[in-house]
This record gives sequence, C-alpha cells and structure tokens, in this order.
Amino acid sequence: MKFMLLLHGDEKLLQADPGNNGISADFAAFNDAMVKAGAFVSGARLRPTSAATTVRVTGNRTEVLDGPYADTREQFGGFYIIEAADLEAATDWAARCPSAAYGTVEIRPLWQAPAA
Amino acid sequence: MRYLMLIRHDEAAMANFTAGDWQKMAADYGAFTAAISKADIAYSPGQRLEPSPKARSVRLRDGKRAVLDGPYADTKEQLASFFTIDVPDLDAAIAWAARCPSARHGSVEIRPIWVQTETTK
Repeated sequence: MKFMLLLHGDEKLLQADPGNNGISADFAAFNDAMVKAGAFVSGARLRPTSAATTVRVTGNRTEVLDGPYADTREQFGGFYIIEAADLEAATDWAARCPSAAYGTVEIRPLWQAPAA
Repeated sequence: MRYLMLIRHDEAAMANFTAGDWQKMAADYGAFTAAISKADIAYSPGQRLEPSPKARSVRLRDGKRAVLDGPYADTKEQLASFFTIDVPDLDAAIAWAARCPSARHGSVEIRPIWVQTETTK
C-alpha cells in the first residue's frame, strides 16, 4: 500500500536552523533507511507557507489569496510517498521521521482503485 | 519551478454527489489532464487520497509515540489529492490551478518545492 506522510513543523523554529538550506543529517539518515528498506517512493520539501497561494473559482471569478489554505500552529513543510505493508508499518516510518520529534507527521493512505 | 498543488474538497458536500456529478468531475479532469499533456510541461499526475477519517497523526515526544486518529487539522475542506507541475513562475501555476476542476468544488493551494542539493551537518 502507498501512503503519504505529511510533515508539519513550526516554521519559525526551522528557519532559525543554520542547516536550513541543506538536508540535515537526521533527514539524510531517515531517507537512507527508507531507500534501503524499499519504502521510499518520492518526497519533497516545500518553501515556507509565506510562499503559498490558494486559488478557488466561483462562476467566472478566480479568487487568488496569498497564504496557505489554513493557518495552523505547525505548518505543512514537506511530504513523502512511501510503500508500506499496512497502516501500522506506515506509522512506524512516521515515528522514525525526524519531524515526528518536533512536529507532527500525518499519514494519509493513497486511494486504491477498486479491483476491476 | 516545481510546484506542489494541494486539492481540497468538502468531503461532506461530496458525499451528496450523484453518479452524474462524479461523471462530470471525471470528464472535467480528463479534459484538464489532456490540456496539461498538450502544454508539454513536466507534470506528475494527481494522486488521490483516501478520505480524511482514514488519516492518522503521529508525534514522538521523549521517545514516546502519540498516535491520534484523524488529520493534523480539522478544516472545512479536506486534502483530497495532489499533483506537481513544473512551470516558469507562480502566475503560470495560478493559471493551471484555476483551470483545475477542483478549484470550482473546493480550493487548490500552490506550494513551491524547495530544491535541495547538498547535505549539511
């Protein structure tokens, strides 16, 4: 099964991190562990929510708002797509993700089309 | 520049969708995907998620795991799917977001992807 891990953390704390522009050692180790286990599918870090834009369309009107969809105490800052046997295995990876120790890792199962 | 496009729908409203509504949505997405393909931009197709009640949120504090059922935040609209595109700038990303059928049903949040090339520390 495939799962999305959504990494939430306090941007203010992260931006104070001098290693902010690179991949920190703890994330590099986590990435390596997932690749070795065959769990890693893809992933990306996002620019801070100050660079977010939210778009919706009503009738012929396009509304463009600066900022993320919702203001939250911790901000969505990156994601992984992983392959795991089940939700418990995905939870184990989420707990090993460095973000779990200072933020929150949300797990969302990817949609599985019903068997034809 | 690569952008992550986060699609949010009101799951409660979608629960009232008729078969016809879903067919229209599928047709609209078919046209949207065809338009992106024709535009010849790097695009990774939408990945749909299971509904938010299947979400789980995990924290680790002092070595102890705290696992909560449900998404990180309760919002009026819920994250339903995402795709990535590679376009020259934010205006181009906004234009594609506005063409996305989900912009009419919910919202599309655009997040620039941070390109990281080096390992530090």
